[in-house]
Amino acid sequence: MIGSNRKEYAVKKGKTVTRRQFLKRSIGVATAFTIVPRHVLGGQGQTPPSETVGGALIGCGGRGPGTFEAMGLNARLLASCDVKFLDRADNKTIYTDFRRLLERKDIEVVAIATPPHWHALISIAAMEAGKDVLCEKPMTRFIAEGRAVVEAEKRYNRIFQVGTFGRFGESRNPVSIQIHKIMKSGLLKKCEAVHIKRGEFKVKEWSGKVNLQPEPVPPNLDWDMYVGPSPMKLYHRHRTGGTHRGYWDYEGGGLADMGQHFFDPFQWTWAKDDTSPVEIEAYAPPAHPEACGMWGWVEMKYADGMTLVFDSGEWAQPYNRKEGRGVSLSDLDEENRKKVEAMPDPQPLVSFAEAVKTRKQPGGHAEAAHRCATLLHLANIAIRTGRKLRYDPVKEEIIGDEEANRLVNQPMRAPWHL
Amino acid sequence: MNESSSVLARLVGKLPDPDEQGMLSNIDKEAVDSIIAEIHKGGRDSIIGLVDMLVEPGKGDDVKPRYALHCLALYVCKLRDENYRRAFADTLASQLSGERPKAVQGYIVRQLQVAGGREAAPALGKLLCDEELCEYAAQALAAIGEGAAEQLRNALPKATGKCRLTIVQNLGVVRDTKSVGALKQTIGDPDRDIHLAAAWALANIGDAGSVEILLKAADAQDAYERIKATQACLVLTEKLLTAGKKTEAVKVYTHLRDTRTDVTEKYVRDAATRGLAAAGSKR
Repeated sequence: MIGSNRKEYAVKKGKTVTRRQFLKRSIGVATAFTIVPRHVLGGQGQTPPSETVGGALIGCGGRGPGTFEAMGLNARLLASCDVKFLDRADNKTIYTDFRRLLERKDIEVVAIATPPHWHALISIAAMEAGKDVLCEKPMTRFIAEGRAVVEAEKRYNRIFQVGTFGRFGESRNPVSIQIHKIMKSGLLKKCEAVHIKRGEFKVKEWSGKVNLQPEPVPPNLDWDMYVGPSPMKLYHRHRTGGTHRGYWDYEGGGLADMGQHFFDPFQWTWAKDDTSPVEIEAYAPPAHPEACGMWGWVEMKYADGMTLVFDSGEWAQPYNRKEGRGVSLSDLDEENRKKVEAMPDPQPLVSFAEAVKTRKQPGGHAEAAHRCATLLHLANIAIRTGRKLRYDPVKEEIIGDEEANRLVNQPMRAPWHL
Repeated sequence: MNESSSVLARLVGKLPDPDEQGMLSNIDKEAVDSIIAEIHKGGRDSIIGLVDMLVEPGKGDDVKPRYALHCLALYVCKLRDENYRRAFADTLASQLSGERPKAVQGYIVRQLQVAGGREAAPALGKLLCDEELCEYAAQALAAIGEGAAEQLRNALPKATGKCRLTIVQNLGVVRDTKSVGALKQTIGDPDRDIHLAAAWALANIGDAGSVEILLKAADAQDAYERIKATQACLVLTEKLLTAGKKTEAVKVYTHLRDTRTDVTEKYVRDAATRGLAAAGSKR
C-alpha cells in the first residue's frame, strides 16, 4: 500500500536503494528459490535453507523495505502486495489483494507497512492464516482494533511484534530498570511522577488539508481497496503517499504516527503494559471532521496517580500545570526500598526473530503495543471531542460519554470487520 | 437573504481560513468556540442554514459551513444536555431527503454518527437500500447502537449488492438475535463476501443453533473461505463458552481438532486443542 512519498530507502546499513530496486532484487531472489532446489542454495557461506523462512511484504511504500528488514530473520521475500500494483500484479509474486497472498502455505512471516487503517485487519487476517507478523507503527487506528489483534494473537498463538523497538534499549538502561522495578513492585503508596514529552509530534507537518477537491484515481491504484475499512471518500493524492497521516480515516496526525516511538519505551519503563490512563484532558481547538490539525497539550492521569503529558509546542501556550517529576528509591520507606533492591532485573526482551524461532513472546507483543497505541488514541479522542474523558482501562470504554465511545470502536465498511 | 441568514453567513465567515497549504494552522480556539455558541443560539434555522450552504465536492467552496456543522455536533454533545443534542439530531435527520445531493446527505449522516441518537435511526434506516448512502447510514446506525437493529433487520429483505453485504455485516455488529433465521438463509448466498459476512454475524451473535452450519462452512476447500469460516467457528466457541454453552463449544473445537490434520493447519488444530483444555473437556 502507499506509504511515505520519499523515493529512496535505506534497506541495509550504508546502502541506499530505491523501492523499485528492492522489490526487483527481492522478488528475483524469491523466483530463483522457486526454481532451484532448496538444498542447492545452502552452500558454503550461505544460510542453510532449513534456517530461512518464507516472507511477504504487504504495503510496499516508504516503510515497506525497512519493515521487512526489521524482522531480523533470514526471510526470503516470496511475495509483495500493494494496492497500487494494479499495473503489474501477477498473483504469483506481486499482489494487490492481501487475502490472496495470505492463502499461500509457503509464507510463514508477514511484514505489514500499509497505512495504519489497515494494520489491525491485515495483522489479524495474517494470524488467522497461521503467519507471524511484524507490523509497522502505529499499531492501530482506534482502540478496539488493538484489543482484536491481542485476541487473535492469543487465539492462534502467533507471534506479533510492532515495528518500534525503543523498549529494547530502555530495558537495558540501569536508570530505566530501577524505575521499572519500583513501578512493577506496586509498593509506591501514591505515584507523583509527571512525565512530559515536549515537541517532535510533527503536528503541522502531518496535518490534513481541509479543502480537498476530488481528483481522478491513478490507473495503477485500487482506490476501493486502499480505503478498505474506512469511510469511502473521493480520491485525492494527499490522502495517500505519506500525507495520509493527516486524515482521521487513515491515521491520526503526527501524534499517532510519532507517539508509538515515544511511548513504547515509556510504557516499559513505567510498567504500564497492562493498563491505560483513567482521565484524559486536551487543550485544542475544535477538531475538523476529516483533517487532523493543531493541538496544544494532552494531560493523562493513571489510577496510581502518575501523570503523562504530551505538549506539542506547536500551538498555543506550552503546558504549565505541572512540572516533570520522576520516581526514585527515596520515594519508598526503608522496608520497601530493600524489597525493590532485592528484586531481580527483568529478563532481556525477546526480539521478533528469536520469538519466531523459539515461540516465546516478543518484547513488543500485541498487548504492550495495544496499550501504547491506546495512549495515542485516547489523546486524539480528547482532542476530537473537546471533552474531558474518564476511561475504564479494564473494560476499555470511556465512562459516561456514549458519543466519545463511538471513536473507541469505529464501524467499518463491509466486508471488513474486527 | 433574510436577517437571520445574513447573521449566520457573517458568523460562518468569521471562522478561520485555511492557510496556504489548505490546513487550519492559524486557529483561535476561544474565537471558534464563541462563534459556534452564537450559531447554536440560532437553533433549527441555523442548522438548516448551514446545511443549505453545503455543496457537492468539486462544485464550490463549503469549507467553513462543513467545519461549522461538525463543530456544532461536537458542541451539542459537550453541553451534556439531551434536549440540545436531540434537537440538533432531529433537525439534521429531517434534512435527509431526496432533495439534497447525495454527497451532502452523506455528510449529514456522518454528523449524525457524531451526535445522533435513537431519534435519528428511522431516517438513517431509509437510506439502507441506497447504493450511495447505505454504507454511511449503516456505519452511523452501528455507532449509535440504539434502534439500529430494527432498521437493519427491516431493510435486509429489500437490499441487494453492496447494501445487502453492509446490512448483513452490521446485523452481526449489533448482535441482533432476531435476525438469526435470515442470516442462516444468507449463508447460502452465492456472493462470497455476503455469505462470509453472514457466517461471522452468526458467530458474533453467539447463536448455539448455528454450530452445524458454521462447521460446514469452515470445511470449505477455498483457502480464504476456509480461513475466515474457521475464524467464525472459533469466535462462536468463545461466545458460547461465555454464555455457558459448553457442549456446543466442545463440539466445534473437537471438529476443528479432528479435521485440521494437514501440517499447514496445525495452528488451528492447536487452537482447538487449547480451547478444549480451557473448556475443561476430556475429549
